[in-house]
Amino acid sequence: MGHFVIVGVLVVVMAVLTYFGLDAAGLATQMHPVAASAQAAPIDQLWHWEVMVISFLFALIVVPMMYSLVVFRQKKGEMKDGEHMEGNANLEIAWTVIPLIIVVVFAYFGAYSLGEVRRVDPNAMVINVTGQQFSWTFEYPEYGFITTELHLPVDRQVVLKMQSTDVIHSFWVPEFRIKQDVVPGRITEYRVTPTLEGSYKVRCAELCGTSHAYMENPVIVVSGEEYETWVAEQIKIAEASKTPEGQGKILATQYGCVGCHSADGSPMTGPTWFGLFGKTENLSDGSTYTVDEAYITESIKEPTAKVVEGFAPVMPPYNLTDEEIANIIAYIKTLK
Amino acid sequence: MKGFFSSALARGLFWQVIGTLAGAGLVTGIRAAMGLSATATFFFTEPAWVLGGFLGALSFLVGSGVMDDWIKWMRGIDTPDHHEDHRTGVDKFINVSLDHKVIGIQYTIVALLLIAIGGLFALIFRTELAASELQFLTMDMKLFGQNGPQLYNTLMSLHGMVMIVSILLGIAGIINYAVPLLLGAQDMAFPRLNAFSFWIAVPAAILLLSSLFLGGFDTGWTGYPPLSTRAPVGMQMFFLGVFVAGWSSILGSLNVLVTVIRMRAKGMTAMRMPIFVWASIATSIIALTATQFIGLSFQLVMFQRLFGMGFFDPAKGGNPVLFQHLFWFYSHPAVYVFILPGLGVISELLPVFVRKPLFGYRWIAMSSLGIALVGFVVWAHHMFTSGMNEYLRVPFMYSTLLVAVPTGVKFFSWVATLWKGKISTPTPMLFVLGAIIVFLMGGLSGPPNATVSTDLHLHDTYFIVGHFHDTIFGGFVFPFFAAIYYWFPKATGRKMNETLGKIHFWLMTPSFFILTFGMMYIGLIGMRRRIADYDPALGIDGAHLVLTIAAFAIALSVLIFFYNFFNSIKNGEKAEGNVWNSRSPEWQVPSPMPAHNYEKPFEVVGEPYDYGLNDGGYVKFIEPAKGSKH
Amino acid sequence: MAHLKDKASALGQGVVIFVYLAILTLIEFFVAVTFKSVSLLIVIAIIKAALVMYYYMHIYKLNENDGSDDPHSYAFKTGTNRLGLWLFLLSDGFVFAGLLVMRSNLLGLTHPGALDQVLGLAVTAVLLVSSFFMNRGETAMAYGDVKGFMNNTLITFVLGLGFFLGVVLVEWPEAAHKGLTVAFGNPTTGPMGGVFYMMTGMHAFHVFTGLVFLGIVWNNARKGLYTAEKHFPVEAAAVYWHFVDLVWIFFYPALYLIGTAVK
Repeated sequence: MGHFVIVGVLVVVMAVLTYFGLDAAGLATQMHPVAASAQAAPIDQLWHWEVMVISFLFALIVVPMMYSLVVFRQKKGEMKDGEHMEGNANLEIAWTVIPLIIVVVFAYFGAYSLGEVRRVDPNAMVINVTGQQFSWTFEYPEYGFITTELHLPVDRQVVLKMQSTDVIHSFWVPEFRIKQDVVPGRITEYRVTPTLEGSYKVRCAELCGTSHAYMENPVIVVSGEEYETWVAEQIKIAEASKTPEGQGKILATQYGCVGCHSADGSPMTGPTWFGLFGKTENLSDGSTYTVDEAYITESIKEPTAKVVEGFAPVMPPYNLTDEEIANIIAYIKTLK
Repeated sequence: MKGFFSSALARGLFWQVIGTLAGAGLVTGIRAAMGLSATATFFFTEPAWVLGGFLGALSFLVGSGVMDDWIKWMRGIDTPDHHEDHRTGVDKFINVSLDHKVIGIQYTIVALLLIAIGGLFALIFRTELAASELQFLTMDMKLFGQNGPQLYNTLMSLHGMVMIVSILLGIAGIINYAVPLLLGAQDMAFPRLNAFSFWIAVPAAILLLSSLFLGGFDTGWTGYPPLSTRAPVGMQMFFLGVFVAGWSSILGSLNVLVTVIRMRAKGMTAMRMPIFVWASIATSIIALTATQFIGLSFQLVMFQRLFGMGFFDPAKGGNPVLFQHLFWFYSHPAVYVFILPGLGVISELLPVFVRKPLFGYRWIAMSSLGIALVGFVVWAHHMFTSGMNEYLRVPFMYSTLLVAVPTGVKFFSWVATLWKGKISTPTPMLFVLGAIIVFLMGGLSGPPNATVSTDLHLHDTYFIVGHFHDTIFGGFVFPFFAAIYYWFPKATGRKMNETLGKIHFWLMTPSFFILTFGMMYIGLIGMRRRIADYDPALGIDGAHLVLTIAAFAIALSVLIFFYNFFNSIKNGEKAEGNVWNSRSPEWQVPSPMPAHNYEKPFEVVGEPYDYGLNDGGYVKFIEPAKGSKH
Repeated sequence: MAHLKDKASALGQGVVIFVYLAILTLIEFFVAVTFKSVSLLIVIAIIKAALVMYYYMHIYKLNENDGSDDPHSYAFKTGTNRLGLWLFLLSDGFVFAGLLVMRSNLLGLTHPGALDQVLGLAVTAVLLVSSFFMNRGETAMAYGDVKGFMNNTLITFVLGLGFFLGVVLVEWPEAAHKGLTVAFGNPTTGPMGGVFYMMTGMHAFHVFTGLVFLGIVWNNARKGLYTAEKHFPVEAAAVYWHFVDLVWIFFYPALYLIGTAVK
């Protein structure tokens, strides 16, 4: 019996040590990073329970294993076999049935936790989200403006109606804990109640192409009043940008052009728009071309016709109206 | 060198090139005649590359001569059952052999080669990740028609699939070598099919790697449409390579199942089979059936690209999520294909080094089948965030957590096997113990991914990357090394160097723990999967640097293994007897094994793992009756 | 049950099973036209499949005593080969199962309306009749009648070729003509064309390989390589041919009968 008592004590000690070790790293009572949504609470709670069970099971396997390795080692020169034990049916049944019960209990907790995460507030505010290679845009249907920053009031449930214009993306704000794929051809829903003011980022979590790593947009959670102020500002900006250039800038955001073309000269997947108009570009077939209205129109409708040297022919064609294209050209002209 | 140019390998490669050019030329000619564009960025157009790649693989098989006997049979010419193989040394392994032991070694060598290539890819992108911002895979660089991040994506995707193929070949190698010996069979049930399964994997690997040079592909190994319908032509070569490699796996596992059912020695009832055979059965059942689904799903995307069939194109009424269902129906059970043989190796080797019977043999055998069967109904846990029907998530959570039960049975039984044994720890045993602990890490980090709500945070992060590297290293890599160290003397008559083996283990194991713990940690903080660059604001630059150093330490340990492996073939310490003092039949005869295995057939007279019992052993060789000529 | 005493009763059994299958196919067609009951169609398909697997493909032979005392005997090797063949068919069956999953996900309770029902029933009948002659051929060989085997296999081959050409050269162009295209940028047909051509194409590919096998065993029979005791290649080609028929038993209702026709 001696071996069992020692191992039993060691298992408890090891389990406690493992748990507190993980806690010291900040991983036991909640997941990383800081929790900033109401939905994070049941998730972190479930995680905490799981960490406790994991710590125990870890000790339960590792301790007897290490103990055997030390105590039941073959001595030098010893050639004897171990004790002839073939098995024990009761023991086998026990370690089949007990884990089965634990598993069912955890599956129940999991389902319960999922239900909490999906709890619906009928007064939730709707925001339309569009994912495209390689940026996010947010439309506030109540006010009719479009932004590249998601501003949310604290302590109010929002439901994001998300769609993709090209490939599968995934909407993930680590601080909110939840993640939802954005699939072309359907609208997926992301419900969240921010609880902590701060500045976060939505990070695309489903590989979506070359610049997938940079598909990040700011998510800013502010108080109710600050949110109202921001909305008023955005409405003003939307009013003021009813010029062709202003509309062009909005379109560039809306269609995701800004995901690949910078406005300040910095290198991205596609050529920068800064100083583009009137510039002479070297094309991949060796010729040169001075950028004019005709070139930009062609590059939008049939992007692979004339590819600038050093860039891959990866842009999909966009079917825009003549007016939209004119507005975008007007906007590009302002970037100098 | 003269030997090389007349070898099956060289002939196969030559004909693969000819076949590729012929297929591509044919399509190009037809296109030119129809007035379509005949050339594209990578010289040939996409349909030309696809037909060329396919015909190239077929030409390899015909050219290498692996199908010679079948062609003779079709023409009504009979061939002898066995071909005597008089080749020696390297020649033996670059030519077609029907001997399961040679084929097993061929598989193992190719698997090791692919592990080296896949590992090299990993080191390249791991180096890029050592600090935030792009260092050498920049937007401005250009290689094989790809800029830095595209190349990153290609290497990362290829790392995944090259490693998967190498694992499939690795388990095929161990199974091929060991199973007929454990069963007391002369060979596999279908030796020609066996050779075919191996040789088809060679053009498959070449097709797969060719995608790197044809524009690459930036989808990860999963190849989800619509992204995969937009990727460069390299995507098609990837699909083709996996499709062809899939046939290697399907036909190989068919052979294993028939061999086990039909070719067992006298007296070897189901419950007296060596435990590794049970694991091989479980893994073969999955590989035989489910593999068709990944082949089909990739084939559908290929056809969508070639003919515009809108299976997964929402603009045409297709459904991108359907692909994920078809894909994961194989690709989840596939991980059980990878790990079950490894767990079998653990169970097979443990009693030898503990000098004690395997605790709960029946339970371990049945738990392998249990894992395989439950594995068929858990696939959608990869899709908790995919936008599939919400109510489906809960049943899939239950089935996924259920996998923990048979896996737990294995762990508890292993611990009970160790209990009160007489444990010695030569290199194979070290890797067995390492495998148990690493696989435990993988197992324990699993449930948080299985419960839906926590998975909403963990999905597609480095937590998952850490989790599955733990399961795959614990379930395949460590046992694979254990198996090589263990059966090396059987194959060569020499032992691998013990000191180098220990250095290999003690360098690899801690580095690996650092690597996967680090991955899980940064994943929780916000490091996503499959990104070339990360936000410096996350504050994980330092962690990434440590991970990169750990990765290089693992690479160094594997290099030591390679040196040890190839050096020991010629210079290893002679070991022709029962090196490990095992009860298993293959160790009761001198090493290396002769061509048709046991000279005298054996009969099973005891239990396979009855160490500590002075019975008559597991098997008894049957003396030939006087005057008979067997 | 398994072993019939003489050749005449074995051939007679083939006729009876053929009549059952023919009647069930007609009922199937009638059910689809009148009741549109999906579950009834599935039940009929399963009954047909079971009949084919038992009486034409002889699945029970997997269980037969196969001379396992001597691993070098032809009987033992045949048992091994037979098991390998069936496992291969199981694996191949997953391809077709995957296609059916795709079909039900993308098309649901609709089927392509551009298809010619008469032609569909006709090619189905041709394949069914070919299976009947295949069974006669194999039975003939089992009783050592090489001539009978060759004649029946030749008929099977011609019918099989008729099915293959009927699908590829008649049904495909006609469906394409009626607007069922593989949709090069044509959103109106949806994935319907893709599903139809993929499923029939995959099946036609198997018919084609089946024809190749039939040609090979026919030629080798001509050379006198098979006897009543040693003819596993004949059995394999026959079982494979019936398997192709078996797949069509499910594909025919899936493509032509289930649900409402959509243009």
